[in-house]
Amino acid sequence: MTVVGSSPARVGGVERVTGGQAYVADIRLEDTLHIKLVTLDVARARIGAIDTRAACDVPGVRLVMTTADLPQPMPRFGPQRRDRPVLAVDETKYHGDPVAAVAADSRDAAEEAARLVRVEFEELPAVHTLAAALAQDAPLVQDPALRPKDPQAETNVLHEHRHSWGDSDAAEREAEVVVEGTYTFPMVTQFAIEPHAFMAAPDGDGIAVWSAIQHPNWLQRVIADLLQLPLAKVRVHAPDPGGAFGGKQHAKYEPLLAFMALATGRPVKLVLSLEETFQAVRRGAAGVHVRTGFRRDGTLVFRDLEADYLIGAYADIADRTVAKGSYTSMGPYRCPAVRIVARSVLSHTVPSTAFRGFGNPQQIWAVESNMDEAARTLDIDPLELRLRNLARKGEAFIPGDTPADGDWAQAVERAAELIGWRTPPPAGRGRGLAVGLKSGPTTGLSYSTVRLLVDGSVIVSAGTSDMGQGARTIFAQIAADELGAPIEWVTVVMGDTAVVPYDQQTSASRSSVFMGNSILSACRDIQAKLRAMAARLESVDEEDILVTRGEVRIDERVLPIRDVLSRGLGRLGGELIGVGEMRKDAEPDHPLGGTAAFYEFNCTAVEVEVDRETGDISIPWYVTVSDVGKALNPLQVRGQDEGAAVMGLGHTLMEHYIYDDAGRIRNLGAIDYRIPTSMDLPLRMDSDIIENADGPGPYGSKGMSEGALLPVAPAVASAVRDATGLSIRNLPLTPERVWRALRDASG
Amino acid sequence: MTGELRRIDMTVNGRARAIDVLPHHTLLEVLRDDLGLTGTKECCLVGECGACTVLVDDVSVDSCLMLGVEADGASITTVEGLAFGERLHPLQQAFLDTGAAQCGFCIPGQLVSAAALLAETPHPTRAEIEEGLAGNLCRCGGYEQIIEAVAAAAAAGDHPGRAASTGHAGVPAVGDRASTPDAELAPQ
Amino acid sequence: MHAFAYERPRNLADALGLLTDLGTEARPLAGGTDLIIRIRDGSIRPRTVVDIKGVAELERGIREDDDHLTIGARTVMTDLLRDERIRRDYAALAEAAAVVGSAQIRNRATLAGNICNASPAADTAPALLAYGARVVAVGPSGSRVIPLDAFFVRSGVTTLAAGELVSAIELPHPSTPRGSVHVRRTRRRGHDLASVTLACTVDADGTTRIAYGSLGPRPLLVVDETGVLADPAATDDAREARLAALFTDATPSPRSMRASPEYRLAMLRVLGLRALRTAVERLGTGGRPS
Repeated sequence: MTVVGSSPARVGGVERVTGGQAYVADIRLEDTLHIKLVTLDVARARIGAIDTRAACDVPGVRLVMTTADLPQPMPRFGPQRRDRPVLAVDETKYHGDPVAAVAADSRDAAEEAARLVRVEFEELPAVHTLAAALAQDAPLVQDPALRPKDPQAETNVLHEHRHSWGDSDAAEREAEVVVEGTYTFPMVTQFAIEPHAFMAAPDGDGIAVWSAIQHPNWLQRVIADLLQLPLAKVRVHAPDPGGAFGGKQHAKYEPLLAFMALATGRPVKLVLSLEETFQAVRRGAAGVHVRTGFRRDGTLVFRDLEADYLIGAYADIADRTVAKGSYTSMGPYRCPAVRIVARSVLSHTVPSTAFRGFGNPQQIWAVESNMDEAARTLDIDPLELRLRNLARKGEAFIPGDTPADGDWAQAVERAAELIGWRTPPPAGRGRGLAVGLKSGPTTGLSYSTVRLLVDGSVIVSAGTSDMGQGARTIFAQIAADELGAPIEWVTVVMGDTAVVPYDQQTSASRSSVFMGNSILSACRDIQAKLRAMAARLESVDEEDILVTRGEVRIDERVLPIRDVLSRGLGRLGGELIGVGEMRKDAEPDHPLGGTAAFYEFNCTAVEVEVDRETGDISIPWYVTVSDVGKALNPLQVRGQDEGAAVMGLGHTLMEHYIYDDAGRIRNLGAIDYRIPTSMDLPLRMDSDIIENADGPGPYGSKGMSEGALLPVAPAVASAVRDATGLSIRNLPLTPERVWRALRDASG
Repeated sequence: MTGELRRIDMTVNGRARAIDVLPHHTLLEVLRDDLGLTGTKECCLVGECGACTVLVDDVSVDSCLMLGVEADGASITTVEGLAFGERLHPLQQAFLDTGAAQCGFCIPGQLVSAAALLAETPHPTRAEIEEGLAGNLCRCGGYEQIIEAVAAAAAAGDHPGRAASTGHAGVPAVGDRASTPDAELAPQ
Repeated sequence: MHAFAYERPRNLADALGLLTDLGTEARPLAGGTDLIIRIRDGSIRPRTVVDIKGVAELERGIREDDDHLTIGARTVMTDLLRDERIRRDYAALAEAAAVVGSAQIRNRATLAGNICNASPAADTAPALLAYGARVVAVGPSGSRVIPLDAFFVRSGVTTLAAGELVSAIELPHPSTPRGSVHVRRTRRRGHDLASVTLACTVDADGTTRIAYGSLGPRPLLVVDETGVLADPAATDDAREARLAALFTDATPSPRSMRASPEYRLAMLRVLGLRALRTAVERLGTGGRPS
């Protein structure tokens, strides 16, 4: 019986249910100074004089840091462009952009002092919508001098991405039916239940930083570079995040804290309020125009897509989300001619960053809604339309990239079966479906070490961030199976760059595959050493020995690994150390820098009831099916897929930032930014998975946990279309929006 | 006078505590910062997310909306007080069994709310569980596994009921019975 | 939060004395579910918080008096929604108390605090107005009774005088059988602030009372004595016309984040009709929820 494929209790589960799990905010260091940020209540301002005297006079205040206390020129950082200053210089560029920071002995003193910092400023015109940012005379978010060779430097277009293949003009002539529409996706925020928290402290001749960062090694490089320290003198502690969803991938205030720790010589700690977290991270909003040509029988002939993503004031990783999200916007389909133009548009708003789905949900909302509208125009069942056009396994549906790596039609058929697609829904209900595709990581590098100790227990060191997806557990499962240890005998060490080897990042649902394979290869390394050991002990040729999951086999004899190990290590004892690696190198000629390691694919089918008087949408039945290759831990897979579905219902039905005319966010915090509660669930939810062991990860697994979020909105809209005949192209589908659409349609 | 410390006496997880607090500090801050009980979490601070849920005299409240001084004379139960020594509370075990805890940040609040729900309604319907936990936001898990855990714990029976703050059913609180030893008082 | 002092008076005289002496520098604290939020967001900065939960004369509980129920100032929403008498005879109030917020909020939020906070969207206000509730206020010069309709002025403002506290809320016993219900519109099924909140009572003698909130600076009560609304045989058109005539004072704010004025006015009509239907039904089944 293997542990992989079963659902042992979550490693770290007991800590989570007893209150023992230490998140960054729970960690205490002696003599810590508490930090409070100083921000302006405007979208954009020219910063004048900053008077810190009253703030400094508050008892317990040790430092009020302004740009004057930082190196000149201002150090900047960012994963794609080094555009973000440690503190705003000359100008604040979004509502919440910090201009100063107070460090004090107590949170009370820091808060009081922050209120007393006097900042002279002049409000400047700001743009916070696509239309405003793209207008002829729009104020520029970034200084054109920062990108002198860019022809778009005098605009707010940061970058334009183009992908195309086939002959779109010829295809246009061939198409018998053309369906087009423009769709919008709102600004939404991750709203992890753990607000961001950070600490930094001098550490000998170096520095230690605590952050629930998804990419500890990346943060280490950023800090080392900004402080001009060798990497080995920067230690990043990365406790498990209390939810991240992409919003904790990249540095935010760690650099500021690092400078403050060195300036004060003491540990410093910043815990953001939920409101400050909403001002720190979000998803890119988007306006997407899709134009698709079909033959009468529903075969795809061409797809044209133009997408503008409204990113924030600093690039963060937002442009990459636009590149990657738009790249797969022809969908999981066979399409001979495709033309995609996608632009990242800067604005004076919260810097958008990675968020589950990474640029895909926005275009999938448009593309799948367009498919659904096409199905109605063509008078073809939306299910049949997908099946007719879905790429088959092994088909090179994107020229030059990884072929379709799953039997996607099987997932679609399974979803259809679960919801009873081929029988009519009960009266008064509409039914709809949609599919979602996302490409996995394009490059990657994960090292791990596995130590098999003399008694057969195991220590795995892996740099992945376990933010709830259960990475720790599946790594323990793999080591347990491969080395024959009970899972309770496996310890997984994560989140400390001084102790754990390099991992590029935790993103793109990569960790089961990349770190999983790395751990598998470390275990195989140990198995090879065991084989050599057994050969020596038994005086047998190595090639006559098989070391497999937990066992050493010589001819008919089967010996437990522990026996061979303890005899082989002998009187001195010791341990066996395995080193593992999984690497996917960059392909510089590829538009995304590399082909997809795997794809995530999901089909979601939904039944809805629409209250025509109020516009309320209720969901009596929700089905989601993901193609996962192999569920290493089925319970965790289900938890992730259902969680993704409910998160998707958030942006589908209720979530959006509300800005005032001056570009300030009106609905900061939990009272007016609504996410689904336990009372907002579908009446019935069925989730299932397709396991064909056809993924590149351990035992045939693929990455998962973003797929089930991708098609939520178009699936619900498809059901609403079925129930009411309405095509609503803007999210969220609030009761008021639906009511208006119903009213406008009835004239 | 503004800023004067007030002495409060309360029972926390069955253990008598006497501490000096500042009036403007919430019960949440007192529990986390003064008593070192960091199991109860800080998130929205406006009584919407429930991450700060504790029991005050057996009743679930958002500790971010209660001042520490208001807890004078009260009996408080936090997540650290649910287990009995090494033995997990049935809800804690159920949460583990159904996979309810993913990132875990909302879980202390969910557990305390669920304990209060089951004490009041030992056999809740699905709708009652949904409503009972509606003040506890979760962003990872979609709530299904949490709801299943509460239903499973209800079906298994044996709930401390109104004695929640005094230990498991029938077991009186005598001295220190918290599963996680309360931290020593942190200096102000 | 900024630093403030805390007082916990043991009796009414001390409580009133403190509030009078400290004036606008002090705020009374009951459940804290509104006060703490407002202190934290900086919209108020009291120097002293006066906790009234220790005041002996302020009761928690629901008492039967000759022709009314008396709800003590310390009574919380959970007490209301569990009370058999409230559920039976004041169903709209029980229903409203159940949706004021989550269980954690309901365990602390007092009815008195809800009306003193005077949010136009307060969910209990329409039910209380429809039931003809009265506010008992105590102050330095003694006690007085204020009809609830004369209590609300506008958002955050009541006719309580300086130094006065609400000591109880009175609910007159119904003189005839009636059916009643509370309904509202929110952005999600989970707990939320209402964009329309409405209570409706229909008496056996044909009088209909509808009170609604979140469509103007204060909750409003309208009364129909024509009998049209209470008549199960009346046409939808007749009812809608009558409601339209009654709802002319609804003035939803154009600045609201939660819903537009247009939607709110439309939902006022939809909810009014739905509430009527339910109230008439309940009247038919003996005045209690079926």
